[in-house]
Amino acid sequence: MRGWTIRLLPVFAALLVLSPLLRDPTSDTYPLSTYPMFATDRGNVHTIATAVERTDGGFVRLSPKLIAGTDEAVLASVTVTRAVRLGEADVLCEEILERIGAGRQIEVRTETLDVVELSVEGSVDSTVTAHARCGSGP
Amino acid sequence: MTQRLAMLRILVFGYAAVWTIARTPHLLDTIDLAPRRFDGIGPLWWLGEPAPALAIIAAAVLTPIACGAAALGRRYRLSSLGAVVGFLFLTTYRNSWGQIFHTENLVALHMGVLAVVPAAVARWSTEKSEWPLHKSETSADHEVLSSAVVKALSVLTVGAYFVAGAAKLRISGLGWIDGDVLRHQIAFDNARKELLGDPTAPFGALMLRNSWTLAPAAVAAIAVELAAPLALVGRRAAWIWTGMAVLFHFAILAVMVIVFPYHLLGIALAPLLPIERLGTSVAAWHCRFRRHSTRLPPTGGS
Repeated sequence: MRGWTIRLLPVFAALLVLSPLLRDPTSDTYPLSTYPMFATDRGNVHTIATAVERTDGGFVRLSPKLIAGTDEAVLASVTVTRAVRLGEADVLCEEILERIGAGRQIEVRTETLDVVELSVEGSVDSTVTAHARCGSGP
Repeated sequence: MTQRLAMLRILVFGYAAVWTIARTPHLLDTIDLAPRRFDGIGPLWWLGEPAPALAIIAAAVLTPIACGAAALGRRYRLSSLGAVVGFLFLTTYRNSWGQIFHTENLVALHMGVLAVVPAAVARWSTEKSEWPLHKSETSADHEVLSSAVVKALSVLTVGAYFVAGAAKLRISGLGWIDGDVLRHQIAFDNARKELLGDPTAPFGALMLRNSWTLAPAAVAAIAVELAAPLALVGRRAAWIWTGMAVLFHFAILAVMVIVFPYHLLGIALAPLLPIERLGTSVAAWHCRFRRHSTRLPPTGGS
C-alpha cells in the first residue's frame, strides 16, 4: 500500500460512512446505519404492546427477560408488537407462560396512552386491548 | 502518529473483547429465541434462519480471544481479522431479531480499518512486530501511513455523527429543533420502558416538566452532530467537539437511560485526541516500576 492509496484512506473512510446518505433515511441496516432512531416525530399518543401477569388485584408488569427472553427492553417491545401485528399473540403468550411457569395467567395486550402525560404525571389513564390470554389464574 | 495508532489498537480491540464478554449472556439468549423472529440484516442478509447454536457459542468464545490477541498485537494479521469477523457476526446477528441497535456500529468500522491496514501493530505489541512488511519501509513511511489510518478512523467517527444529524433533518426537517420531536422521543422511550418493566430515567420526566429546556436541547443535539466534521480542522476544535459529544451522550443517558458505552468511554472519539500520551505515561510508569523492583533487596530465607 503506497503513495496515493495511503493518502486516499481517509477519503475511502468518508465515502463509506457517508454512503447511507444516499439511502432512504428510514431504511436502516448495520453497520452502515442511517441512524434514524431519534429522527421521527412519534407524537404523544401511542399504542404500546406489552405483556403482563394477571393477578387477583389487577396485574403485574413483566421484565423484558420474561416477555421476550432478552434483557433489552427495546427488543422485547419489538417482539410483542410484531407478534400482535402478525396475529401471533397467542403463540407469544404461551412462550411467556413457559418462561414464567405454570399456575399463572399471562395477558398479551396493547395500551394506548399519552406518553408525555405518563412521564410528567407519573400515571395516566390508558385504553387496554387484550390480544391473548393464557395460563390459569384470576 | 504511530503511537496514537498503537494506542487506538489497544483501546478498540480491548473494548471489543470486554464488550463481547459482558454481552455473552445476551448473545447466547438468542439461541432460545423463536426462529420466526429472525430476519437477517446487513452482512447476514443471506441468512434465512437462525444460525446453529454451536456457531453462536463458538463465536462468543473465540471473538474475545481474538480481540484480546489483537489488542496485545499477537499474531496481529490473523487475530485482528478474526476479531473483526467474529465481532461483526455477533453484533449483526444480535441486530437480526427485529431491532437494530446503534451502539456498536463505530466499533465494527474502527476494527475493520485497523485490521485492513495492520500498521497499528508496529508499537506497543507483546511480540516482535510484523511491521514493516518490506525492508524498504522507513519510519517516515510508517508515520505517513499511521497518520492516514488515524485520519480514516477520525473520519469514520465524525461521519457517523454527521449522518445521524442529517437523518433528523431529512426525516423531520427543521421542525426537529423546536423540541417537540425530542419531547415525544423522551416520553415514548420512558413510557415503553415503564410498560415493559424496565427502569425509566428520572431526568427524562424532569426535563419534560421543564419543557422550556427541550428546544435548546434539540438545537444543541443537532449542532453537535452536524458540527462533527469541524473536529477535523485542528486540535483545539477536536478537544471542543469531543467535550461536547461526551456531554451529549451523558445527556442521552440521563434522560433516556440509553448507554453508548464506546462513546461514553471516549474510545469512539479517541482518534481525534492525543491519546498516545496515555500510552507513553503507562510505559514510563512501567519502566520506573521495573527499575524500582530490580533495586529491592531479595526477600525470604533466614
